[in-house]
Amino acid sequence: MRMRLKLKTVFVLYFTVSLLGLIYALMQLDQQISQLRGELQKLQEHIKTSELAKKTDVPRIYVITPTYARLVQKAELTRLSHTFLHVPHLHWIVVEDAPQPTLLVTDFLAASGLTYTHLHQLTPKDRKLQEGDPSWLKPRGAEQRNEGLRWLREMGAAAEGKEAAALEEAVVYFADDDNTYSLQLFEEMRYTYRVSVWPVGLVGGMKFERPVVEDGKVVRFHTGWRPNRPFPMDMAGFAVSLRFILTTPQARFDGDAQMGFLESSFLQHLVTMDDLEPKADLCTKVLVWHTRTEKPKMKREDALQKQGLGSDPDVEV
Amino acid sequence: MSSGGGAAQIKQNMPKRRDVFALFLILLPWTLLITFWQQLAGCPLIPVPKDNRTGASKANQTGFRLHESCITMNKSITKATQIKYVYQRPPPWSDTLPTLHVITPTYSRPVQKAELTRLTNTLLLIPNLHWLVVEDSVQKTAMVSRLLENTGMNYTHLNVETPKNLKTLKKPRNHSFPRGSMQRNLALSWLREHINQNSSHKGVVYFADDDNTYCLELFEEMRWTRKVSVWPVALVGGLRYESPRINSQGKVIGWKTLFDPQRPFGIDMAGFAVNLQLILSRPQACFKLKGVKSKYQEGSLLQDLVTLSDLEPKAANCTKILVWHTRTERPFLGNEGKKGFRSGTLEV
Repeated sequence: MRMRLKLKTVFVLYFTVSLLGLIYALMQLDQQISQLRGELQKLQEHIKTSELAKKTDVPRIYVITPTYARLVQKAELTRLSHTFLHVPHLHWIVVEDAPQPTLLVTDFLAASGLTYTHLHQLTPKDRKLQEGDPSWLKPRGAEQRNEGLRWLREMGAAAEGKEAAALEEAVVYFADDDNTYSLQLFEEMRYTYRVSVWPVGLVGGMKFERPVVEDGKVVRFHTGWRPNRPFPMDMAGFAVSLRFILTTPQARFDGDAQMGFLESSFLQHLVTMDDLEPKADLCTKVLVWHTRTEKPKMKREDALQKQGLGSDPDVEV
Repeated sequence: MSSGGGAAQIKQNMPKRRDVFALFLILLPWTLLITFWQQLAGCPLIPVPKDNRTGASKANQTGFRLHESCITMNKSITKATQIKYVYQRPPPWSDTLPTLHVITPTYSRPVQKAELTRLTNTLLLIPNLHWLVVEDSVQKTAMVSRLLENTGMNYTHLNVETPKNLKTLKKPRNHSFPRGSMQRNLALSWLREHINQNSSHKGVVYFADDDNTYCLELFEEMRWTRKVSVWPVALVGGLRYESPRINSQGKVIGWKTLFDPQRPFGIDMAGFAVNLQLILSRPQACFKLKGVKSKYQEGSLLQDLVTLSDLEPKAANCTKILVWHTRTERPFLGNEGKKGFRSGTLEV
């Protein structure tokens, strides 16, 4: 009698435990399925990159970066190049603020592994920031960006056949050497018809600035500073199709523009607010940050150099 | 009586078999439970091998004691469908290259996501890299978790909060307590816990802060470190660069620094790498927390590991710059909230 009772309870126990086990296993299976789905997605995207890199009819991105000699220049260009190495079909146009190309940038670009064009354009003295000037006093990089545009227009005029067709689809982006760019940003801008826009982080005294989008169109701009500008955006917040640049020869940056109006001086030749194409999930994601690098303190170095005791000036930093 | 006794005997035998049967049935569910529990407990903080790596890479992961059928309970597969873009995966894992264990302490501030993003872009170009990101926080933040997951890298996400009385106060340049030491120590203890000293796993440990700039060449220089290797670091210590002083025999004899060149180890955190075996074989070696000022904490670790004569100079006998101690400006956010402009919930 006792034996039989025990067996019954054992069976009941066994049944409940296996039932619980089954429920648990189903939950695990469910998780595994979603995980596999995720992995599948990632694999598909991975295949897409390798295909993207091999495809030749993908729009090219021309990135114009003005740069100037200072202690952190090589560091800035180095980490910027690392970002670009991940972006397929990117052509980097580096324009130095110098009377002639410097050895540092020449050697750096040659070793970078990127497709590049090395230009130079000296900023006239009266437009240049002096030592001790706050960074916002004069617009920077206008001459260099214009030089980049000039080169593009020259190339556009000389191109024919397939190359000309490729240029029709290309996009131009102005990337300063101290900002931070995520990889998605370049895929967002790649298919731009006229001018595409997106939010920029850590700029204008705010966490981010962005165009405000309603019904798929840009209606106004969320910005903390002078929102009445024609285009209250940062240089890093828009990209222009090369076709429009080639067909609008008067579009250039005005080096004498008032503080904060440099972008507007260029864009107003090309587009109105209505025609802007919002990217980055209708301008709700921050994919680029307006980071700035501290100027390293070199007071002691300067003093030491005078005594001939500083770090070896032959070593390139 | 005999028949009754016989029947009783039979009855005795049958209960015995039934006994065994019952015992077996009792034990079966428990063993099932224990196996399930084992599977669950099999993966606490170990990175999951990404399926699109080669089979060879999985074998290489044995140093981490990975369970092949490991089910990740803590990774929620979010919005993979919403990511339209393509992330470049890290280079395929190689069987012959030593692993670079890069330890990065990080803390929450407006530029954190930007710093980690551009550091990621650099690290994604390095093969055989294991990234240990240690947050200075009470718990792991969603932003960092998502960022790490989206990289496709081999990473370990840790966190430990620096006690408030030890944290630097308002001035970011208050060097009374070295920043990141607790986080680096946590990463070192993770390595000691998860990698068997006697395994054939070859690795090198490097401390990479999230705001510095690294050349790709640097990682290849440090990969073959036997004990501790050193090289120059630019833009640090008030100089264009600081560097170890090398004699004509290629040995380190001192430090070309402005700040206390008499220190036993006058080197910046970004200027040295340690062989993993050395870390594992000296479990007491860590960054000292109390009574160690900034610029001395590197020495507090190295003194337990190596002597000056054991240091291996890299970067062409310490004549090339492969790493810069860049610092990012604190962004001016004074316009937040003015004139009714508010940032809302956008992640920056």
